[in-house]
Amino acid sequence: MTQREHLRNLALLGLLALGLLALPQGLSVYLTSFALFTMMYVVLALSWNIISGFTGYTSFGHVAFYGIGAYACAILVVDHGWSWVTTLFAGALVAGLVAVAIGYPVLRLKGPYFAIAMLGMAEGTRVVATVWDGLTHGGLGISFPSVENSTSTYYAMLVLMLITIAVAYLVAHSRFGIRLNAIREDEVAAEALGINVTRYKLLAFVLSAVFPAAAGGIQAYKVLYIEPQAVFFVQITIAMALMSMLGGKGTVIGPVIGAVLLYTAQELTWVNFPTAHLIAYGLFIIVVARFMPRGLIGFAIDRGWVRKGMVH
Amino acid sequence: MMPDANGIALEARDLRKAFGGVHAVDGCSFAVPRGKICGLIGPNGSGKTTTFNLLTGLAQPDGGQVLHDGVDIAGLKPYRIFRRGITRTFQITRVFREMTVLENMLSVTGLAVPDRVARERAGELIALVNLTHLRGEYGGRLSYGQQKLLEFARALMTDPDVILLDEPAAGVNRTLLQQLLEQIHRLQETGKTILIVEHDMNVIMNHCERIFVMDYGVKIAEGPPSEIQGNERVIEAYFGRRQSGVVHAG
Ligand SMILES: Nc1ncnc2c1ncn2[C@@H]1O[C@H](COP(=O)(O)OP(=O)(O)O)[C@@H](O)[C@H]1O
Ligand SMILES: [Mg+2]
Repeated sequence: MTQREHLRNLALLGLLALGLLALPQGLSVYLTSFALFTMMYVVLALSWNIISGFTGYTSFGHVAFYGIGAYACAILVVDHGWSWVTTLFAGALVAGLVAVAIGYPVLRLKGPYFAIAMLGMAEGTRVVATVWDGLTHGGLGISFPSVENSTSTYYAMLVLMLITIAVAYLVAHSRFGIRLNAIREDEVAAEALGINVTRYKLLAFVLSAVFPAAAGGIQAYKVLYIEPQAVFFVQITIAMALMSMLGGKGTVIGPVIGAVLLYTAQELTWVNFPTAHLIAYGLFIIVVARFMPRGLIGFAIDRGWVRKGMVH
Repeated sequence: MMPDANGIALEARDLRKAFGGVHAVDGCSFAVPRGKICGLIGPNGSGKTTTFNLLTGLAQPDGGQVLHDGVDIAGLKPYRIFRRGITRTFQITRVFREMTVLENMLSVTGLAVPDRVARERAGELIALVNLTHLRGEYGGRLSYGQQKLLEFARALMTDPDVILLDEPAAGVNRTLLQQLLEQIHRLQETGKTILIVEHDMNVIMNHCERIFVMDYGVKIAEGPPSEIQGNERVIEAYFGRRQSGVVHAG
């Protein structure tokens, strides 16, 4: 990509930021909260995409990091009196450390074995949150004292989303990102070309863990109540994956588009047809997988509307 | 006469590798002299690719040593061996299929240069193998011969010391093959050591100074092309038990 295109993209991101900064002034509480959750899914899908899209390790357990972040926020605010913004960094740190600890063994597994191991690890964290009463208050969950938080959490999520987009963009257009792609395409060849694949995969995994943790923390403070079933909910992982795949995994714009479209669609069907919502979801997955296996961006690339590759 | 030890870039000593009951490499020793183009030949299944895998860390030897500049590198991780300046291409191409030609080039590590310099270098090498018009195309969309050329160019990104080419001519058209061979000679002139596995005997006999012949996992002959062509054991390996190749000068 040329210098000019980078500047153009930076300008676009700046415009988006300005628009979103002004947004809560003109919107109802409901729509502000809708915007917040849309941004949250942008963060989640983009983060999932770093390990699963760029690097090719499909994770079925990414909600674990989100849940860890949510619990870090709730425990530190409610039990230890921390300021909630500080807990976001703590949650990200814990998630990063967990990612290193479990990534080291689990990233040796390939394809479905990695996916299943991650599913198991997410279930594991949920069980820990349920049974470790002393730390997590167990299955009853944790309630925050009531506060006015709709604007502060909105801006926190906006900042987090901008950071996540910037990081994903920098990764995608760097030689680091190209090497992650190389690992996805052919790990043996990548290693034969000098790439320390263990280290690269671990770095990608940690990057993909910290932002969901911060998002989980913001979400916890927004909703003011968490419990294991809600924050370690497997459907959140599925959403991250689907959003990336719908937009086009392995790209930066793909997961952003996918998150906005799918979250909006989900919210509309959920409100209007509570029961049909899951059926619609399922049909949607089938249509995307059948007609756009590489997502909207892949569809556009195949038709020559978008250039191939990240680096030009 | 063997070149003296100082002149040896890469040496296999009694290398062994078995897959189940198949002794793919069975006590193979040879020394590649520095700054020369050498050939490694042998009938199909004689263990040439496995030997390359052992030299580059893609397979772990069951026994023996690999000496690079006198240091034993057998069993090191592939990326460590690569960073010592030993690079390779693959018999069955391994280009990154959903990455562009340029991205394939830039994926290579060990290049402590700024992005701009790496891109310039990638651009020059892409031009060298006549792929400039395809630099934005996915690797998987190239013809087999073009993929071979891309792998060759990719192997040169780091300015390596020793270059191992596994059947570089297969699928490459005559004109491009001629250019490829010129490049290989140019590399030699700058002091690189090159070892080529190839079935095209014209390439081997006309371009290699020294040839190692393998059969059933061991070296059965070694020498300059003129000696190898008349070597009885070599002729027997190719004609005697199998009909898989022909040794003749082109
Ligand atoms: N990964 C492997 N697993 C089992 N057998 C193998 C493997 N790689 C090579 N072989 C066997 O080892 C022998 C040597 O193969 P190879 O090194 O590819 O020979 P060449 O490159 O000389 O044709 C063959 O019999 C082959 O079938
Ligand atoms: Mg072979």
